[in-house]
This record gives sequence, C-alpha cells and structure tokens, in this order.
Amino acid sequence: MKNNQSIKKSSKKNIRIIPRLDIKGPNVVKGINLEGLRVVGDPVELAYKYYNDGADEILYLDIVASLYQRNFDFDLLKSVSKKIFVPTTVGGGIRSLNDITNALRAGADKIAINTYAVHHPEFIAEAVHKFGSQCIALSVEAKKTNDGHWETYTDGGREKTDIDSIEWIKKSISLGVGEIIITSIDQDGAKRGFNLELTNKVIAISPVPVIVCGGAGSLDSVKKMVETCHPEAISAASVFHYRDYSISDLKRYLKQNGYNVRL
Amino acid sequence: MKKGGTKIVIVDYGVGNLFSLANAVGLFTRDLVISEDANTINNAEAIILPGVGAFKAGMEGLKIRNLIGTIKAFAKTNRPILGICLGAQLMLTKGYEFGEIEGLDIIAGKVIPFPKFKNADKVPHIGWNKIFPFNKGRWNDTIMRSTGVNMHVYFVHSYIIETKNKDNILALTKYGDMNFASVIKKGNIYGCQFHPEKSGPDGLTIIDEFIKFVKING
Amino acid sequence: MVKMVTTYGLPTKVVYCKKCVISNQRPNSTVEFKSTGKIKKTTIGFGKDGVCDACRFADYKVTKIDWEKREKELIALCNKYRRNDGYYDCIIPGSGGKDSGFTAHILKNKYGMNPLTVTWAPHLYTEIGWNNQMSWIQVGGFDNILFTPNGIVHRLLTKLAFENLLHPFQPFIIGQRLIAPKLALLYNIPLIFYGENQAEYGNRFEENDIPTMNEEFFAHRITLNNLYLGGISAKTLVREKKIAITDLNPYLPIPYSEIKKHHIKVHYLGYYLKWDPQENYYYSVENTGFVANNQRTEGSYSKYSSIDDKIDPFHYYTTLIKFGIGRATYDASQEIRNGKITREEGVALVRRYDQEFPAKYFKEFLEYIDINENTFWKHIDSGRSSHLWKKRAGKWRLSHRVS
Repeated sequence: MKNNQSIKKSSKKNIRIIPRLDIKGPNVVKGINLEGLRVVGDPVELAYKYYNDGADEILYLDIVASLYQRNFDFDLLKSVSKKIFVPTTVGGGIRSLNDITNALRAGADKIAINTYAVHHPEFIAEAVHKFGSQCIALSVEAKKTNDGHWETYTDGGREKTDIDSIEWIKKSISLGVGEIIITSIDQDGAKRGFNLELTNKVIAISPVPVIVCGGAGSLDSVKKMVETCHPEAISAASVFHYRDYSISDLKRYLKQNGYNVRL
Repeated sequence: MKKGGTKIVIVDYGVGNLFSLANAVGLFTRDLVISEDANTINNAEAIILPGVGAFKAGMEGLKIRNLIGTIKAFAKTNRPILGICLGAQLMLTKGYEFGEIEGLDIIAGKVIPFPKFKNADKVPHIGWNKIFPFNKGRWNDTIMRSTGVNMHVYFVHSYIIETKNKDNILALTKYGDMNFASVIKKGNIYGCQFHPEKSGPDGLTIIDEFIKFVKING
Repeated sequence: MVKMVTTYGLPTKVVYCKKCVISNQRPNSTVEFKSTGKIKKTTIGFGKDGVCDACRFADYKVTKIDWEKREKELIALCNKYRRNDGYYDCIIPGSGGKDSGFTAHILKNKYGMNPLTVTWAPHLYTEIGWNNQMSWIQVGGFDNILFTPNGIVHRLLTKLAFENLLHPFQPFIIGQRLIAPKLALLYNIPLIFYGENQAEYGNRFEENDIPTMNEEFFAHRITLNNLYLGGISAKTLVREKKIAITDLNPYLPIPYSEIKKHHIKVHYLGYYLKWDPQENYYYSVENTGFVANNQRTEGSYSKYSSIDDKIDPFHYYTTLIKFGIGRATYDASQEIRNGKITREEGVALVRRYDQEFPAKYFKEFLEYIDINENTFWKHIDSGRSSHLWKKRAGKWRLSHRVS
C-alpha cells in the first residue's frame, strides 16, 4: 500500500473538477446533509454553463428516483447532453442492465450506481462484465456513526443500512467497479470543508480513482483537502450553484498552488 | 457514391455511448445514421465504432449481429474507419479482458491491461491527459493535423493497445511510468483510445478532421 | 350527544384532496382540555372542486397576500413591543427545531427583538433533539428556559390519554400550548411569537386572516369540573388517580381574566412572513446549528420534521389508526402545498411510508406508559373505525389509499 508521501511525489495527474447536478423532476436541486429539495436551477442551463466554464466531467444524479421508486428520466438527460462535450456520469434509480444501456443511449458516458447495488451487489459484476469496469462507478453516501465508523445510506440519503462504507467499497472493487464517488453526508451542502478522515480512508483502500464529494467550501478548504488526501477528482455542487466561485476560479487557484489541472 | 454529403454510419453493436457520439458527429455532418444493419454498413462511406464496454461483450455484440465479417470486409476496402476507445481496441488482433478473445484483426496487435505502475497512478485511467505525436511530423496529413501537441483529451480505460508495428502508432500518451498508444492508424483506419466526442472543443477538432477526411476521400 | 356512525363522527366516505394527499378525515385542532373522546371531531373542509382548505390557503398565500404589507405590520408590532432596557420583549416557544430556529433567529437578528426562548420538554428526548436544542441556544445564541414537567404525572397523563383517547401526545400538546403564556405572565413578557398558524394545515380558512392565536387554546372560563385531561375530568383525576390538584398546574389553562389583565397576546410569525418549512430548514442549518436526522423518521421520508421526541412517532401512528392518515401524508401534503414536491411524488411517498410501524422506540414507549404489548394492540384496534379499517386474513388493512 503506497503511503501518502510517495503519492505526493508522483501525483502529476490533472485533478478533475466535476460539478454535481442533483436532479429532481425538471430541476436541479440542492439540499444540506442530503435533506431539502431547494430548486437551484435548470439542468440544461447549468450543465452547459459548467461545461463552458471548464468542467472536466458532469455528475448527473437523479436523487429521488430510488426514494420515489420511479424511473430515471432519459429524455431530460438527452436534452442536457446535447450541448455537452465532456463526459457525463449518470446515476439515480439505475436498477438493470437495460437502464444502463438506455442511459448510454441518452448521453451518459459513465454510470453511477448506489441503492440498487447495495441490495444486489451481484449487479455490479453483471454491469462490469457487459460495460467494463471503467464505465461503472459506485456512489457511496456515508455518515459517521457514534463508534467512529462510516455507515452507508441509500434512497437519497434517507435509509440506514448498517453497512460499513469502507467494507462496502472494498467489496464493490472486488466486484469490478472502476471508480468510487464518495459523499460525506455530514459535510454535504454545508460549505464547511470536506471530511478529511473519510476521504483519506477511502483513498487509502481504493486502487481505482476516487471522486470526493460533500463539503466544498472556500477555495482554501478545497486546496486543504487536495494537499491532505490527493484525490483523483473533486465534485462540488453548492459552491457552484450558489455562485460562490466558478469552476475556472477553482482550477486557477489549485494551479497557482502547484496542483495540475486542465486549463 | 452519394453526390455531395458524406454517409457516416455509427455502428450500434449493443454497447456504446451512442447519444454522445452521434451528438458530436452531428455537429459536422447531417448525413449520419446509427445502425446495426450489415447492408447499411456495407454501403457507408465511412464507419465509426463507438466505445464504451468490455472487449468480450463488444465482440459478442458484433457476433450476434453478424457484423464481424461485414466490418472486416469494410476495412479491406480502405474506406475510412474511426474506432473510439473500445471501438479502437476491437480492431486489434486479440484482447485479454476476461480471457483471450479474438478481435477484428484489422490492425495487428493486442489489447492488454496496463502494467503495474511503480508510481501511484490508478487503473482505470480516468481523466484528461496529453497526447503527443509518436515522432515529429507523424500527424501531418492525418486527422490529427489540427491537433496541438500535448493537447488534453479524455481517457477512460483499463486496457491499452499494443500494435505489432510501430508504424501504426500515431500518438502516445504518458500514464503511470510508461507511454501507451493513444491514436493508431493504418491507411484510412484510425483508432483513438480516448473519447474525442467528449474532449471538449479540442476533441471535436479531431472529429471534424475525420469528417473532412471522409469527404475528401469520397 | 351526536350519534356517531363512524368513530369520532368522521365523514363516512373517504375523499382525497385533488391537489395534496390529505384526506377529508383530517381532524382540525381541538381545545384539548375539553376532550372526552366522545365529541364529534371537526375535520378539514373540502371545496366543491375537491381541493382542501389547506391547499386553498396555500394558493391564497402565494397569490393574494401582500407580504410586503404584512412585513410592515410585523415591523410595527416589533416597534411597539421592543425593549431597549435589556429586558426581554417577547417569548418564543420552541425546541430548537427548524421552525423555532428560524423564528427566534430572524426576530432577534433582523427585527431587533430580545427574545426569551421557552421549551416545553419532549416526553423523551432523542439524541438529535437534545443536540439541536443545545445548538439553538449555543450556536443560535438565545437565552432559554427549559420546562420539564413532573415525570410521574406526565407519564400518567400520557398513559391515560393513550388508553382513553388513543392520543398519547395530548399532555405534550397541552403543556406546550400553555408554557409560553404561563411564563409570559410569570415574567411579565406579554408578546408571544409562535411559528405558523395551524390553520395553514386545514383549520378554518378564516383563522388565517388573524395574526393571533385564539385564546381558547390556552385560556379558559371553565371550572375544574368540566376540565378534562387524558379523557378524564380533573375532579376524577384528583379523586381516583391520587394526583394532587397542584400536580396538574402545568396542564391547567390560564384564566381569561389574567390574560386580559396582562394583555398576553400570541402572534403567528407565519402571518407576517411567508411560511416555508423547507426554507426554515436551510435557514436553521445556516444560523442556529440545526442538524437534520441521519435517517428518515419512521412513517415518513422526512429527516427534518419533528425529530426530538421518542413518543412523537406514536402520535402519528395513532393518527393513522384513528383517521387513516399517517406521518408521510402530513409531510407530503405540506411539501406539495409549498411547491417542493408534486402530488404524484407525494402519492408515491405516502404509499411507501405512511403505514410503517414506529418500531425503533416501541419498547421505550411501552415502558413509558407502563403497558404491555398485548394491551397496546387492544387499544389500537379499538380505535379503528370500521369505515376506515377492514380485517382480512387476520390482518387489518385500510380500505382506502391515496391515488
């Protein structure tokens, strides 16, 4: 297991900056600690704006599909994808290989799965076998428990599972998942900084790239997470949706501080 | 041969980000269809093999649609082909994802996993990385002619292409502690390991050049 | 006495609102200390167009109310009562939840008031409830008095309320409505601010046009003879249950004469500022350290609504038994009216969660009211009106479901 020192020395890869769009019906919404459905914008407009501003990817998640037990809206995804020429990772209520095929035919380039995979881990292996590891990302929403572990939540952060997030991530990797998207429920939407402990833990055990989500606050808080944890990618929502700063602001800031980003 | 216009067929073989690809190609030509029909492919002026999936599933997808022979024959006519990511990989002789699988054998070589790196670069290779010519001048008169050296493009793959012949390598990319082939070429047949349709305006340039190339070639 | 075909005299035919997911069985707010359990309940009104009063009000709220004018009224009210001599000028009852978080913070910081916050303790604090209470005080920055009633009496009244009325939350509701006026009298702070008027949720529409709470909810002209707690008269409580009259003090309404003499007035902030519970959530997170629950509450999908009392889920569960509507229905109806979710989404949520049994604190609830599980179910089953519940293959099922 490489220690953080050697990672620091050799990490010259571009850190990906990925705006996250939480989709509910026709809107982009944003909660805090995965609660609240405040409308913050239009999916087509926001995706395009972020693409133009240098987003390396778009993370597009229907955050109520599992909760409302309804299907993903592929038509909306098509509308959003028409003007976007960077990769889109799509998730939310993905429950079958058919859903994945449909998503790929509607604008998705990578797929994120959470709720369904938690209840049917074998789905990961099936999806990987058909679409390849690099197409399948595991989205994990984790909350710290009283005894210092991390617990996995599903259904838009509302259903407790008693499943240890770190163990679950390890398992999903053994099943072939190609990327991990880790969201800290405790930090989500609060703009107080990422959860460094959780981030470090996940990166330490993951041989596949990790996208870190949940808590982006000041430019400095993002830099702090990068220098402590060295993630492959950073995802943020509130700071972009509420226009605290732009994607290009963040990229320039990281570059100025010695980190490689695509400019 | 159609008068004016080009006929581009994006091959639908069951795995692929078809929407993204058609969307991007559609910026440069309206004479474009997505098809799994052998006849349509046969009559195309150029074909594009899209690329999201596993090697085995990809070849199986071609097999059940009876397209293996069709595409091999198409390649022999030296009409333009653009393979993207998995689509590029399938054009090689053999692939080694989930066992040893026969590829289309249009370009000699194999598809193998990344070797173990000494540094901490992770696999799959996901993200934006630079492409540069295999050697000076190699991009001239190819679809890479408008591409800047060390331009960033988007990669997402766990396997890499290893051509038998170095002449087939058009572009390289550095990842881990090695360089791998990011663009391959044989005659009018191109393969991009990255996704030009998802690499922003710079990537679209490559698609534009391919379409232009098809028009001239026709 | 009205002869009732259905339990509580509810409408015999179940009808759902066309806009939200509430049904016509929803009971309006009661004057709790008159409740013997044998009184016909008034229920939410439905218009000829099939839309409930609460939705009608929600529409009215958005289209007809001049909120600028209302805010001016609030500013005038605050100007009238504001004290600059260091003493409190208003009382804000609450628990550190999202609503009292918003109410206290905005009145203090935007409207320049000096509130004393006042809490009537939950029956049994949840951990998150206690943490939010503390955050309210320590992060939001307010002086607070926490009133915890005599545990023995409170439990007995809860037990009686459950057994006689299938309404275990009654002692809480009574106490909570009285604590602010009582402390207002005690500390000579005549102005009280509540959050929203319950009329928003379907009481009489006209009640929404008045900024103040009807005094009959906390004051009385009645004698101890016709005062009821837990479905039993105060006299019987003293005589048979060995409760001293002094023990009932926290639950006794205040004489009208005292209210009048000291000009005690309860105002609804929701009359002056457009009330939006979800926005209150965001506001409280950002200003008073409020934290939503880690998981959804049993019987619903919500993580931010009413999370501080372990007994609270049983309030909603008994509501489900008596009226056929559970917690998800209440939460979803509110969110539909405020434009957060669509009716279709509300229907999906109600179907998924409404009838969920609150197992998490069941054991504690039984211990709290000192009954065994068998007795619990006996009481529950006796509260099922036949026009709502049918037993099929040994299982009770609601005859209707929202669509």
